[in-house]
Amino acid sequence: MRALIAAATGLTLAVVLVVTISALGSPAGETSPKPLLTTVPSHP
Amino acid sequence: MRRTASLVLLACAVFFAALSPLLRWYAFPRLAKIPANQYQDMVLVAKNATLLDYGTMKAKKVPQVTIVQTLKGDVAAAKRIEETAGRDVVVWDGLSYVQGPDGKMVSEIPERYIFDAHSQEPVHATGEMVDGDPVKRDGIEFKWPFLTEKRDYEYFDAQTRTTNPIHYKGTRTFRGVEVYYFEQTIPWTKVPMPKKMPVQGITPESVAKTGTTRWYTTVRRFWVEPVTGAPVYGEETHQEELRGGTLLGGRAKVTAFAGDVKMREDYIEHTIALVKHNRTLVLLMTSYLPWGFLSLGIALLALALWLEALGRRPADPQPVAASAPEPVSA
Repeated sequence: MRALIAAATGLTLAVVLVVTISALGSPAGETSPKPLLTTVPSHP
Repeated sequence: MRRTASLVLLACAVFFAALSPLLRWYAFPRLAKIPANQYQDMVLVAKNATLLDYGTMKAKKVPQVTIVQTLKGDVAAAKRIEETAGRDVVVWDGLSYVQGPDGKMVSEIPERYIFDAHSQEPVHATGEMVDGDPVKRDGIEFKWPFLTEKRDYEYFDAQTRTTNPIHYKGTRTFRGVEVYYFEQTIPWTKVPMPKKMPVQGITPESVAKTGTTRWYTTVRRFWVEPVTGAPVYGEETHQEELRGGTLLGGRAKVTAFAGDVKMREDYIEHTIALVKHNRTLVLLMTSYLPWGFLSLGIALLALALWLEALGRRPADPQPVAASAPEPVSA
Protein backbone atom coordinates (compact mmCIF):
# COMPACT_ATOMS: atom_id res chain seq x y z
CA MET A 1 0.00 0.00 0.00
CA ARG A 2 2.84 2.38 0.92
CA ALA A 3 4.58 1.57 -2.39
CA LEU A 4 1.37 2.43 -4.26
CA ILE A 5 1.14 5.79 -2.49
CA ALA A 6 4.81 6.54 -3.29
CA ALA A 7 4.27 5.72 -7.00
CA ALA A 8 1.09 7.82 -7.16
CA THR A 9 2.94 10.76 -5.56
CA GLY A 10 5.72 10.57 -8.15
CA LEU A 11 3.21 10.36 -11.00
CA THR A 12 1.14 13.27 -9.67
CA LEU A 13 4.21 15.50 -9.27
CA ALA A 14 5.32 14.73 -12.84
CA VAL A 15 1.90 15.52 -14.30
CA VAL A 16 1.55 18.74 -12.28
CA LEU A 17 5.04 19.91 -13.27
CA VAL A 18 4.60 19.26 -17.00
CA VAL A 19 1.09 20.70 -17.17
CA THR A 20 2.20 23.84 -15.29
CA ILE A 21 5.24 24.42 -17.50
CA SER A 22 3.16 23.84 -20.64
CA ALA A 23 0.45 26.21 -19.44
CA LEU A 24 2.95 28.94 -18.65
CA GLY A 25 4.44 28.74 -22.14
CA SER A 26 6.78 31.47 -23.28
CA PRO A 27 6.11 35.23 -23.37
CA ALA A 28 5.06 36.65 -26.77
CA GLY A 29 7.39 39.63 -26.48
CA GLU A 30 7.06 42.84 -28.44
CA THR A 31 7.00 43.52 -32.17
CA SER A 32 10.52 44.26 -33.37
CA PRO A 33 11.17 47.96 -33.99
CA LYS A 34 13.37 47.04 -36.98
CA PRO A 35 11.88 47.92 -40.38
CA LEU A 36 11.12 45.74 -43.39
CA LEU A 37 14.31 46.20 -45.39
CA THR A 38 14.55 48.17 -48.63
CA THR A 39 18.34 48.21 -48.64
CA VAL A 40 20.78 45.33 -48.90
CA PRO A 41 22.28 44.49 -45.49
CA SER A 42 26.05 44.05 -45.50
CA HIS A 43 25.88 41.04 -43.17
CA PRO A 44 23.25 38.90 -41.37
CA MET B 1 15.21 3.33 7.38
CA ARG B 2 15.90 1.23 4.27
CA ARG B 3 12.17 0.87 3.76
CA THR B 4 11.64 4.66 3.74
CA ALA B 5 14.57 5.21 1.37
CA SER B 6 13.25 2.62 -1.08
CA LEU B 7 9.80 4.29 -1.04
CA VAL B 8 11.36 7.71 -1.77
CA LEU B 9 13.39 6.18 -4.57
CA LEU B 10 10.27 4.53 -5.98
CA ALA B 11 8.45 7.90 -6.01
CA CYS B 12 11.42 9.49 -7.81
CA ALA B 13 11.58 6.57 -10.27
CA VAL B 14 7.91 6.98 -11.20
CA PHE B 15 8.37 10.79 -11.38
CA PHE B 16 11.21 10.58 -13.93
CA ALA B 17 9.70 7.67 -15.88
CA ALA B 18 6.42 9.60 -16.19
CA LEU B 19 8.24 12.82 -17.20
CA SER B 20 9.68 11.06 -20.24
CA PRO B 21 6.46 10.54 -22.30
CA LEU B 22 4.80 13.64 -20.81
CA LEU B 23 7.65 15.83 -22.05
CA ARG B 24 7.69 14.29 -25.52
CA TRP B 25 3.96 14.01 -26.23
CA TYR B 26 2.37 16.62 -23.95
CA ALA B 27 4.86 19.44 -23.35
CA PHE B 28 6.70 19.43 -26.70
CA PRO B 29 3.65 19.99 -28.96
CA ARG B 30 2.59 22.86 -26.69
CA LEU B 31 5.98 24.48 -26.09
CA ALA B 32 7.62 24.16 -29.52
CA LYS B 33 6.40 27.16 -31.47
CA ILE B 34 7.52 30.04 -33.65
CA PRO B 35 7.80 33.15 -31.46
CA ALA B 36 5.22 35.80 -32.35
CA ASN B 37 7.90 38.52 -32.32
CA GLN B 38 10.31 36.81 -34.73
CA TYR B 39 12.28 39.10 -37.03
CA GLN B 40 14.57 37.83 -39.71
CA ASP B 41 16.06 38.92 -42.99
CA MET B 42 17.54 37.04 -45.90
CA VAL B 43 19.55 38.12 -48.92
CA LEU B 44 19.43 36.20 -52.17
CA VAL B 45 21.34 37.01 -55.33
CA ALA B 46 20.94 36.17 -58.99
CA LYS B 47 24.28 36.54 -60.77
CA ASN B 48 24.39 37.14 -64.54
CA ALA B 49 20.65 37.61 -64.62
CA THR B 50 18.45 38.99 -67.41
CA LEU B 51 16.46 42.08 -66.48
CA LEU B 52 14.05 44.26 -68.42
CA ASP B 53 15.15 47.83 -69.03
CA TYR B 54 11.87 49.74 -68.72
CA GLY B 55 13.43 52.70 -70.59
CA THR B 56 13.98 50.77 -73.81
CA MET B 57 11.61 47.89 -73.01
CA LYS B 58 14.41 45.46 -73.92
CA ALA B 59 15.88 42.67 -71.84
CA LYS B 60 19.56 42.95 -70.97
CA LYS B 61 22.16 40.95 -69.08
CA VAL B 62 23.11 42.41 -65.70
CA PRO B 63 25.87 41.27 -63.33
CA GLN B 64 23.61 40.86 -60.32
CA VAL B 65 20.07 41.24 -59.04
CA THR B 66 19.60 41.19 -55.27
CA ILE B 67 16.49 40.12 -53.38
CA VAL B 68 16.13 41.21 -49.76
CA GLN B 69 13.45 39.29 -47.92
CA THR B 70 12.33 40.41 -44.46
CA LEU B 71 9.87 38.69 -42.13
CA LYS B 72 8.60 40.53 -39.08
CA GLY B 73 6.15 39.16 -36.53
CA ASP B 74 3.30 41.49 -35.56
CA VAL B 75 2.64 40.59 -31.90
CA ALA B 76 -0.46 42.81 -31.43
CA ALA B 77 -2.12 41.39 -34.58
CA ALA B 78 -1.28 37.84 -33.45
CA LYS B 79 -2.91 38.41 -30.04
CA ARG B 80 -6.03 39.85 -31.71
CA ILE B 81 -6.39 36.85 -34.03
CA GLU B 82 -5.63 34.37 -31.22
CA GLU B 83 -8.74 35.58 -29.35
CA THR B 84 -11.03 34.35 -32.15
CA ALA B 85 -8.88 31.51 -33.50
CA GLY B 86 -8.43 29.96 -30.05
CA ARG B 87 -4.84 28.89 -30.72
CA ASP B 88 -1.33 30.32 -30.81
CA VAL B 89 -0.96 32.36 -33.97
CA VAL B 90 1.96 34.08 -35.69
CA VAL B 91 1.41 37.02 -38.04
CA TRP B 92 4.34 37.60 -40.37
CA ASP B 93 4.56 40.80 -42.37
CA GLY B 94 6.96 40.09 -45.19
CA LEU B 95 8.61 42.19 -47.85
CA SER B 96 10.43 40.92 -50.92
CA TYR B 97 12.47 43.84 -52.16
CA VAL B 98 14.24 43.32 -55.48
CA GLN B 99 17.15 45.61 -56.31
CA GLY B 100 18.82 45.96 -59.69
CA PRO B 101 22.59 46.31 -60.28
CA ASP B 102 22.28 50.12 -60.15
CA GLY B 103 20.79 49.93 -56.65
CA LYS B 104 17.33 50.94 -57.84
CA MET B 105 14.15 49.13 -56.92
CA VAL B 106 12.95 46.53 -59.45
CA SER B 107 9.94 45.34 -57.48
CA GLU B 108 8.63 45.42 -53.95
CA ILE B 109 6.02 42.87 -52.87
CA PRO B 110 4.61 42.99 -49.34
CA GLU B 111 2.63 40.12 -47.88
CA ARG B 112 0.96 39.05 -44.65
CA TYR B 113 1.14 35.38 -43.69
CA ILE B 114 -0.89 34.18 -40.71
CA PHE B 115 -0.25 30.68 -39.38
CA ASP B 116 -0.49 28.34 -36.39
CA ALA B 117 2.62 28.86 -34.23
CA HIS B 118 2.97 25.11 -33.54
CA SER B 119 1.98 23.34 -36.77
CA GLN B 120 2.63 26.15 -39.29
CA GLU B 121 -0.82 25.48 -40.77
CA PRO B 122 -2.25 28.64 -42.35
CA VAL B 123 -4.84 30.50 -40.29
CA HIS B 124 -7.39 32.52 -42.23
CA ALA B 125 -8.09 36.00 -40.91
CA THR B 126 -8.66 39.48 -42.25
CA GLY B 127 -5.41 40.98 -43.45
CA GLU B 128 -3.98 37.84 -45.09
CA MET B 129 -2.65 39.20 -48.38
CA VAL B 130 -0.01 39.36 -51.08
CA ASP B 131 0.79 42.79 -52.55
CA GLY B 132 -2.50 44.12 -51.22
CA ASP B 133 -4.61 41.32 -52.76
CA PRO B 134 -6.54 39.23 -50.23
CA VAL B 135 -5.45 35.58 -50.45
CA LYS B 136 -6.34 32.31 -48.76
CA ARG B 137 -3.31 30.10 -48.27
CA ASP B 138 -3.88 26.35 -48.09
CA GLY B 139 -0.27 25.43 -47.57
CA ILE B 140 2.90 26.37 -45.76
CA GLU B 141 5.25 29.17 -46.76
CA PHE B 142 8.89 29.94 -45.79
CA LYS B 143 9.08 27.23 -43.09
CA TRP B 144 8.14 23.56 -42.67
CA PRO B 145 6.57 22.16 -39.46
CA PHE B 146 8.75 20.91 -36.61
CA LEU B 147 9.69 17.24 -37.17
CA THR B 148 9.20 17.48 -40.93
CA GLU B 149 8.14 14.23 -42.56
CA LYS B 150 9.46 12.55 -45.70
CA ARG B 151 6.44 13.44 -47.82
CA ASP B 152 5.08 16.06 -50.17
CA TYR B 153 3.70 19.25 -48.61
CA GLU B 154 1.35 21.92 -49.93
CA TYR B 155 3.34 25.12 -50.50
CA PHE B 156 1.95 28.58 -51.22
CA ASP B 157 3.31 30.49 -54.20
CA ALA B 158 3.04 34.25 -53.65
CA GLN B 159 3.34 35.21 -57.34
CA THR B 160 0.43 33.07 -58.58
CA ARG B 161 -1.39 33.30 -55.21
CA THR B 162 -1.99 29.53 -55.44
CA THR B 163 -1.06 26.52 -53.32
CA ASN B 164 0.62 23.55 -55.03
CA PRO B 165 2.49 20.44 -53.88
CA ILE B 166 6.18 20.72 -53.10
CA HIS B 167 7.72 17.29 -53.55
CA TYR B 168 10.04 15.47 -51.17
CA LYS B 169 12.93 14.30 -53.35
CA GLY B 170 15.17 12.57 -50.85
CA THR B 171 17.46 12.99 -47.85
CA ARG B 172 20.79 14.71 -48.39
CA THR B 173 23.65 16.22 -46.45
CA PHE B 174 24.13 19.95 -46.80
CA ARG B 175 27.34 21.26 -45.22
CA GLY B 176 27.28 18.60 -42.53
CA VAL B 177 23.56 18.89 -41.77
CA GLU B 178 21.12 16.11 -42.71
CA VAL B 179 18.35 17.74 -44.73
CA TYR B 180 15.24 16.80 -46.69
CA TYR B 181 15.30 18.13 -50.24
CA PHE B 182 12.03 19.54 -51.62
CA GLU B 183 11.26 20.81 -55.12
CA GLN B 184 8.29 22.59 -56.67
CA THR B 185 7.75 23.60 -60.28
CA ILE B 186 5.28 26.35 -61.08
CA PRO B 187 4.50 26.18 -64.84
CA TRP B 188 4.10 29.36 -66.91
CA THR B 189 1.19 31.18 -65.30
CA LYS B 190 -0.31 34.63 -65.88
CA VAL B 191 0.30 36.68 -62.71
CA PRO B 192 -0.71 40.18 -61.59
CA MET B 193 1.58 43.16 -62.16
CA PRO B 194 3.25 44.35 -58.94
CA LYS B 195 1.39 47.30 -57.40
CA LYS B 196 4.68 49.22 -57.18
CA MET B 197 6.38 49.44 -60.57
CA PRO B 198 10.05 50.41 -61.04
CA VAL B 199 9.24 53.39 -63.28
CA GLN B 200 7.36 56.39 -61.94
CA GLY B 201 4.08 57.05 -63.71
CA ILE B 202 3.60 53.42 -64.76
CA THR B 203 0.94 51.64 -62.76
CA PRO B 204 -0.57 48.15 -63.07
CA GLU B 205 -3.74 49.85 -64.38
CA SER B 206 -1.88 51.77 -67.11
CA VAL B 207 -0.08 48.57 -68.19
CA ALA B 208 -3.37 46.68 -68.21
CA LYS B 209 -4.80 49.24 -70.65
CA THR B 210 -2.04 48.38 -73.16
CA GLY B 211 -3.10 44.74 -73.09
CA THR B 212 0.34 43.56 -71.91
CA THR B 213 0.28 40.76 -69.37
CA ARG B 214 2.90 39.34 -66.99
CA TRP B 215 3.77 35.62 -66.95
CA TYR B 216 5.96 33.67 -64.55
CA THR B 217 7.48 30.24 -64.04
CA THR B 218 9.82 28.95 -61.37
CA VAL B 219 11.52 25.86 -60.06
CA ARG B 220 11.80 26.25 -56.30
CA ARG B 221 14.23 24.13 -54.26
CA PHE B 222 14.56 23.89 -50.49
CA TRP B 223 16.99 21.98 -48.28
CA VAL B 224 15.04 21.59 -45.02
CA GLU B 225 16.51 20.54 -41.66
CA PRO B 226 13.80 18.08 -40.55
CA VAL B 227 13.96 18.49 -36.74
CA THR B 228 13.31 22.25 -36.80
CA GLY B 229 11.57 22.37 -40.20
CA ALA B 230 13.78 25.31 -41.14
CA PRO B 231 15.24 25.57 -44.63
CA VAL B 232 19.04 25.85 -44.40
CA TYR B 233 19.31 26.68 -48.08
CA GLY B 234 17.00 27.63 -50.92
CA GLU B 235 17.23 28.56 -54.56
CA GLU B 236 14.94 29.31 -57.49
CA THR B 237 15.27 29.18 -61.24
CA HIS B 238 12.96 32.08 -61.87
CA GLN B 239 11.66 33.53 -65.15
CA GLU B 240 9.21 36.36 -65.85
CA GLU B 241 7.94 37.61 -69.18
CA LEU B 242 5.72 40.41 -70.43
CA ARG B 243 3.49 39.17 -73.23
CA GLY B 244 1.36 40.85 -75.91
CA GLY B 245 -0.19 44.29 -75.93
CA THR B 246 0.98 47.56 -77.38
CA LEU B 247 3.68 48.10 -74.71
CA LEU B 248 6.03 45.65 -76.44
CA GLY B 249 5.96 47.39 -79.83
CA GLY B 250 4.69 44.45 -81.79
CA ARG B 251 6.85 41.80 -80.07
CA ALA B 252 5.05 38.75 -78.72
CA LYS B 253 7.00 38.67 -75.48
CA VAL B 254 10.00 40.09 -73.66
CA THR B 255 11.89 38.71 -70.66
CA ALA B 256 11.25 40.82 -67.57
CA PHE B 257 13.57 38.75 -65.36
CA ALA B 258 15.46 35.48 -65.67
CA GLY B 259 18.03 34.16 -63.27
CA ASP B 260 19.13 31.56 -60.75
CA VAL B 261 18.33 33.06 -57.38
CA LYS B 262 20.52 31.71 -54.57
CA MET B 263 21.10 32.55 -50.91
CA ARG B 264 24.11 34.77 -50.28
CA GLU B 265 27.04 32.88 -48.74
CA ASP B 266 27.14 34.78 -45.41
CA TYR B 267 23.41 34.15 -44.95
CA ILE B 268 23.87 30.43 -45.61
CA GLU B 269 26.50 30.23 -42.84
CA HIS B 270 24.35 32.31 -40.48
CA THR B 271 21.26 30.17 -41.18
CA ILE B 272 23.13 26.90 -40.64
CA ALA B 273 24.52 28.11 -37.29
CA LEU B 274 21.05 29.24 -36.18
CA VAL B 275 19.38 26.00 -37.28
CA LYS B 276 22.02 23.85 -35.55
CA HIS B 277 21.38 25.74 -32.28
CA ASN B 278 17.58 25.43 -32.57
CA ARG B 279 17.92 21.76 -33.56
CA THR B 280 19.64 21.04 -30.23
CA LEU B 281 16.78 22.73 -28.33
CA VAL B 282 14.14 20.69 -30.17
CA LEU B 283 16.12 17.46 -29.72
CA LEU B 284 16.40 18.24 -26.00
CA MET B 285 12.61 17.97 -25.72
CA THR B 286 12.02 15.19 -28.23
CA SER B 287 14.96 12.93 -27.54
CA TYR B 288 17.71 13.83 -25.05
CA LEU B 289 15.54 14.62 -21.99
CA PRO B 290 12.85 11.94 -22.57
CA TRP B 291 15.44 9.17 -22.97
CA GLY B 292 17.54 10.58 -20.11
CA PHE B 293 14.55 10.71 -17.74
CA LEU B 294 13.44 7.23 -18.74
CA SER B 295 16.91 5.80 -18.05
CA LEU B 296 17.08 7.63 -14.72
CA GLY B 297 13.61 6.32 -13.79
CA ILE B 298 14.64 2.73 -14.55
CA ALA B 299 17.90 3.11 -12.56
CA LEU B 300 16.06 4.57 -9.57
CA LEU B 301 13.46 1.80 -9.73
CA ALA B 302 16.20 -0.84 -9.72
CA LEU B 303 17.82 0.86 -6.71
CA ALA B 304 14.47 1.05 -4.89
CA LEU B 305 13.84 -2.68 -5.50
CA TRP B 306 17.33 -3.56 -4.33
CA LEU B 307 16.89 -1.61 -1.08
CA GLU B 308 13.48 -3.17 -0.59
CA ALA B 309 14.95 -6.62 -1.08
CA LEU B 310 17.67 -5.87 1.46
CA GLY B 311 15.04 -4.74 3.96
CA ARG B 312 13.04 -7.96 3.55
CA ARG B 313 15.99 -10.37 3.86
CA PRO B 314 15.66 -12.40 7.13
CA ALA B 315 18.12 -11.33 9.80
CA ASP B 316 21.20 -13.50 10.33
CA PRO B 317 20.66 -16.09 13.08
CA GLN B 318 21.89 -14.96 16.48
CA PRO B 319 25.03 -16.82 17.58
CA VAL B 320 24.15 -19.37 20.20
CA ALA B 321 25.88 -18.65 23.45
CA ALA B 322 28.26 -21.44 24.29
CA SER B 323 27.01 -23.11 27.42
CA ALA B 324 29.15 -24.93 29.81
CA PRO B 325 28.78 -28.70 29.49
CA GLU B 326 26.58 -30.08 32.16
CA PRO B 327 27.92 -32.97 34.17
CA VAL B 328 26.47 -36.24 33.17
CA SER B 329 25.64 -38.55 35.92
CA ALA B 330 26.59 -42.14 35.36
